Amino acid sequence: MRKEQGNQQRPRVRGTRGNVAQRFTNRMSRKLLLLFALITAAFAGLMVRLVLINRNNGEEYERQVLSQQRYDSTTLPYRRGEIQDAGGTVLAYSEKVYNVILDAKGLLYSEDYLEPTLEALRKCFNFDTAQIRRYISDNPTSQYYTLAKQLTWDEISDFRDIQTVGSNTYDPNVKGIWFEENYIRRYPNGSMACDVIGFTTSDNNGLYGLEEYYNDVLSGTTGREYGYLDEDSNLERTTIPATDGNNLVTTIDGNLQSIVEKYLAKFNEDNKNAARFGNGANNVGCIIMDVHNGDVLAMASYPKFDLNDPRNPENLIGMASVDEKGNRRKGDSIFESGIYITEDMLNEMTSEELYQNYNALWRNFCISDTYEPGSVAKPFTVATGLENGCITGNEVYQCNGYLEVGGWDIKCHNVYGDGPVSVGRGIEISCNVAMMKIGQAIGNDIFAKFQSIFGFGLKTNVDLAGESRTEGLTYTAEQMGPTELATGTFGQGFNVDMIEMISAFCSLINGGYFYEPHVVKRITNSSGATVRNIEPRVLRQTISSSTSEKIVEYCNRVVAGEEGTGKKARPAGYMIGGKTGTAQTIPRGNRQYVVSFMGYAPAKDPQIAIYVVIDRLNNYQQDQAAYACRIARNILTEALPYLNIPMTEELSDQERAELEELRKEAVTPLIAEVTGEDGENAENGEGTGEEETAEAAGGGDLTAAEAEAMGTYEAKWKSFSRDPDTGFYVDPKNGNMIDPDTGAVLGGDTLPEQALVAGNGNNASGLWEPQTP
Amino acid sequence: MGSRKDNYMDYSLIFIVLFLLAFGLVMLYSTSAYEAGIQFGDSTYYFRHQLIPTLAGVIVMFVLSFLPYGWLQKIPWLAYGAALFLVVLVKSPLGWSANGANRWIRIFGISIQPAEVAKVAMIIFLASFIINNRKFIETPKGFWVVLASTVPMCLAVYGITRNLSSAVIIFGIAFLMLFVATKGYLRFFALLGFGLVAVFGIVTYVQKAGSQGNFRFGRILAWLDPEAYASGKGFQTLQSLYAIGSGGLFGKGLGESMQKLGFIPEAQNDMIFSIICEELGLFGAFSVMLMFLLLLWRMMIIALNAPDLYGAMLVVGVMGHLSIQVILNIAVVTNTIPNTGITLPFISYGGSAVLLLLAEVGIVLSVARRIVY
Repeated sequence: MRKEQGNQQRPRVRGTRGNVAQRFTNRMSRKLLLLFALITAAFAGLMVRLVLINRNNGEEYERQVLSQQRYDSTTLPYRRGEIQDAGGTVLAYSEKVYNVILDAKGLLYSEDYLEPTLEALRKCFNFDTAQIRRYISDNPTSQYYTLAKQLTWDEISDFRDIQTVGSNTYDPNVKGIWFEENYIRRYPNGSMACDVIGFTTSDNNGLYGLEEYYNDVLSGTTGREYGYLDEDSNLERTTIPATDGNNLVTTIDGNLQSIVEKYLAKFNEDNKNAARFGNGANNVGCIIMDVHNGDVLAMASYPKFDLNDPRNPENLIGMASVDEKGNRRKGDSIFESGIYITEDMLNEMTSEELYQNYNALWRNFCISDTYEPGSVAKPFTVATGLENGCITGNEVYQCNGYLEVGGWDIKCHNVYGDGPVSVGRGIEISCNVAMMKIGQAIGNDIFAKFQSIFGFGLKTNVDLAGESRTEGLTYTAEQMGPTELATGTFGQGFNVDMIEMISAFCSLINGGYFYEPHVVKRITNSSGATVRNIEPRVLRQTISSSTSEKIVEYCNRVVAGEEGTGKKARPAGYMIGGKTGTAQTIPRGNRQYVVSFMGYAPAKDPQIAIYVVIDRLNNYQQDQAAYACRIARNILTEALPYLNIPMTEELSDQERAELEELRKEAVTPLIAEVTGEDGENAENGEGTGEEETAEAAGGGDLTAAEAEAMGTYEAKWKSFSRDPDTGFYVDPKNGNMIDPDTGAVLGGDTLPEQALVAGNGNNASGLWEPQTP
Repeated sequence: MGSRKDNYMDYSLIFIVLFLLAFGLVMLYSTSAYEAGIQFGDSTYYFRHQLIPTLAGVIVMFVLSFLPYGWLQKIPWLAYGAALFLVVLVKSPLGWSANGANRWIRIFGISIQPAEVAKVAMIIFLASFIINNRKFIETPKGFWVVLASTVPMCLAVYGITRNLSSAVIIFGIAFLMLFVATKGYLRFFALLGFGLVAVFGIVTYVQKAGSQGNFRFGRILAWLDPEAYASGKGFQTLQSLYAIGSGGLFGKGLGESMQKLGFIPEAQNDMIFSIICEELGLFGAFSVMLMFLLLLWRMMIIALNAPDLYGAMLVVGVMGHLSIQVILNIAVVTNTIPNTGITLPFISYGGSAVLLLLAEVGIVLSVARRIVY
């Protein structure tokens, strides 16, 4: 096979062929060259292929590459701010919780992972491993499956240790489980201040109360982890941490709030199922306010609910049910106050019906419900008259039990007539006739103007969600006829809500300063620094300080006076002032009433105002303001010592025993003591400031002028015999019961049936003004 | 034998190989750093594990280039037997698996892929066989005997390590060596044509039958329409095409690939060429291919000038091995053929492969040194 090769076949190699035994043949060389040519052709073909891919699909593929990058962002949850009471007690906070997420794909990455991971899950969480195993085998590519929700740090910390490098229990084969962080809202005090605080949805949106009104403040900003392309089309990933929400420091005093809620609950306990199945009243609400700055110190209503479990149907039992518009459902007879929810009804309710009633439960009676205030409006009528010079305060009116106005006989609640009534006595005994006469002296224009000065028909802008709109629920001067004016003087015919009334009342007794009511006094950030102080805000001067003094003087007589209608509201050891109210509802003659007591303490130098409203008492006789007085008394008996207001009155033995009893069970220590001097003054019934005139002192005493004018009037009904069981006087002519405190005929109707109510009659009578569907 | 003492060194060949090695390491690091960081917490994991066999391989290459290659002619059966034995060892306790494939044996902490050894052994074996049976191989019987001699090795590699591509390469090496060594074209092209017809038949059948049955059918379907199988078998191929297509003329720049960030699985193995396309564009890809072509050309020259036929056949074997692997790898990456696991010589990750490839180059250099001029 020796063969000399042609030189042309290997031109690149230096030198010539030697005489080697077996050499490449020509044929082999040709074939090798052919092979190389084929290889080159294949390379060329692949190069063409590369060019074609770029030319034909380059743009599409480039887009594809960009689109499949991870721009997906992960949200990092923020912590919702806390809600605290005035003393820093936490009313609501957010706790970090963890969802356990299974990444089946990650778990199946190696067969070493499965068993140790399942074992760890079983040990730490007590999970059913058979079920997880089934899920993994059914969905081997699943990367997100929630095994458990809302576990606390303590619950997951054992498992976290297993996953943490360097811990004692670390196991590198536990894989495919991770924790998703979240926050849930907790309310450590359960149902306390539920109406004021409100609650949150699972996605941290506030519902009702502060949670809704201050949702933006409480909410922080969610953080994000996301990818983006920089100018060179490189993918970058960035983390923006979450900003936690701000905290609210409220004006609510937790202890005071507890006291209020305790007695509202007690009231319900004492009165539920009394005349009918159901709660002690359709609604009962109470607000305590600082008269000098508009701080809401306590605000509560009954029925209440646990903020940690707002959808607990048990709370609905005994409540008056509502229809799809949120209006109270009416019974067959107009005398029925409502249809009360029983357990059987609950079982039959559709989820919509259930929600309607939840909404009724959650709404804050104190700000959302409107009603005709009744006689608690009388101080406003007197203040309007005094402030405008329409009356001097020295007038004496003759009450014959009714007054004919606009062709109607409008009765006094005491149909037997109160005889001669001075302005002060008008308030003390709550005489409608005297008020109507004052109203005639005032006239439409001024009366309507002052209603708006007092804020009736206007929102107070209290910082709570769901305040009702009362615009249009009062009469303008043009709409007001003589009848409307007359009924308006004693608080019928127009609608208000509680926060409106108490805010205006504070201005009557604090010298005329109308403060905007508010619940939050400070906003702090997550590290505790103050972001914003909410200062007391005087909106306007409603009346002069001298008028204010007179009103305080008159209102003191309601509690202290011989004939005062609010005597039962006086707490042991203190003198207070106030006004009772018994308001009829629509339709007239339905024997359904809203009774209330609006007062302040102490009598000489008002510091706090209290307003208790009972909507449709569970009693055969709903028109007994004494029930509201008793709630106010109970609350004040415990609250005033707590507020360090010194006692001024001598304690009777009975009161002393009562306080002793209270001291044992009180939620707060009763610290105030009776000072000797004040006590003596009180004993004389002369607890007076120096500048006060004699008529203010001692409450019940008449001025000389009054006494002269009134002569020796003795109330006619006081001559009636008394019912030994109830203590009510009985009219021998018709058997009507007469309240010994007020002289009012129980179940009586002072208003003509045609007397209308401003605005939508349906709203006003229903007492429900739904804010939310 | 020569007129002068042999001291010829093919420096251009050495340069090309060293260039490809260095380039390969750079690309390997670029491609694997992200995934290595995630998987091992060490972005240089793959780089370090490739660097050691590469350096060892370079030493082996130089050592072999100084040794005369004649001794290899004496051990064809030993090489064949030893390689077969190593392949069988995969089934023994020495066997070692990674990524779900049983392809390695592990001795003294060093893992070796016997399939790579088998390729070298096949070259050594066939070169001797061809030299010793010049007449016989020209006969039809000899032709089939040579081809049949690869069958035990191919079956062992495929049967034991489930590595079809290595089996195909081993057969391809034999086919090409035989093509160069014997007369005639017809039977080679006939065999090639028959193979193509068979492949066409299978593809048509698979297309009709759908994805039932053998998992390799799925690969064929994915090859025909990768987008229809985008989330399964077609995923790697499709992502590779995205990488190539998005590279453009000059690419996104070294280290700027997006597809390596978790989209092309195991990009440092079979798919590294697509990352080269993405980062360095058509320019970079063509440069790499030209370097391979130059390498093959240098080998051809060496084969043509080899001092004896044995050396020439060794070089042809190495040349065949390299060319088949480069072509098939790029063909897979561009979806020209169905996806099979074939690595790109000198560049893809794999210690055994680079070590043994460098050994092959060492043999080629040894042949080159004995060229007389």
